Amino acid sequence: MESKPRLLAILDIVTILLFITAVGMVFFYAPLEAVMGQVQRVFYFHVANAWVGMLGFLVAAIAGVAFLRKSDRKWDIVGMAAVEISFVFFFIAIVSGSIWARGSWGTWWTWDPRLTTAAIVELVYAAYLMLRQGIEDPDRRARFGAVYAILSFISVPLTFISIRIFRTIHPVIIGSGAAGAEGSFEMTPKMLQTFMFSLLTFSFIFADLLWHRIRLGKLADKTENLRLKVLQ
Amino acid sequence: MLNTILQQAPAETTRYMVAGYSVIFSVIFLYVVSLIVRRRNLKRDLEILDELESKEK
Repeated sequence: MESKPRLLAILDIVTILLFITAVGMVFFYAPLEAVMGQVQRVFYFHVANAWVGMLGFLVAAIAGVAFLRKSDRKWDIVGMAAVEISFVFFFIAIVSGSIWARGSWGTWWTWDPRLTTAAIVELVYAAYLMLRQGIEDPDRRARFGAVYAILSFISVPLTFISIRIFRTIHPVIIGSGAAGAEGSFEMTPKMLQTFMFSLLTFSFIFADLLWHRIRLGKLADKTENLRLKVLQ
Repeated sequence: MLNTILQQAPAETTRYMVAGYSVIFSVIFLYVVSLIVRRRNLKRDLEILDELESKEK
């Protein structure tokens, strides 16, 4: 059995330490926001989760292109791993965003362009995970996964720019926001440091989980091949 | 003085912060656990299949 690489063990430790530090910064270093109060602290990890979601969907699209060019199943494993992790983190971003919205807008959900496009992205990738399950042939499954990951990625930049091109109440963190945005706030230097550190931490979490999930995918592939061999 | 009188306290939204972070921490924790459990199950399956294969030989 393949043992855990030393570099992965180091990455695990670094990621855990970064995560603990980020949590400490969110609760004890970042100041209390003057209007929204404590719920504003959700913002740091809410955006970081959305960042991991979008990053993973991008990785899946790139892995899809690599698979179609090289027909190497390892790219399918990478794509699947990236989508699964991003699906989970994007789900967290949507739910934590909804809770933040309740605290600052007074509603759990509104069909705002950002919220709507984010929900569409999550549903598109839920379909990716479900449809894959229905294809038994591994090569066909990998080809389908690659094409789907590339096409569905179109929905991701659309979500990112939705608050910049449509009239929306969702605040824009980077760049200038719409006039009707609610829940916007001026970031103090400490808030900005906490925000950037959270993004860095979640990038490490993504890299660490991706590595673990790829190893799991390889193990699943090996088990599936052996099962077919034994059954024959 | 006037500023202090007019200044409003931040909204009381602690419970939403607690709810938000409960969701964030618990979903990440569950996902990590799911990775560990799936890996353990696959290792067990692989051991069984290895045994079956060696018996067939």
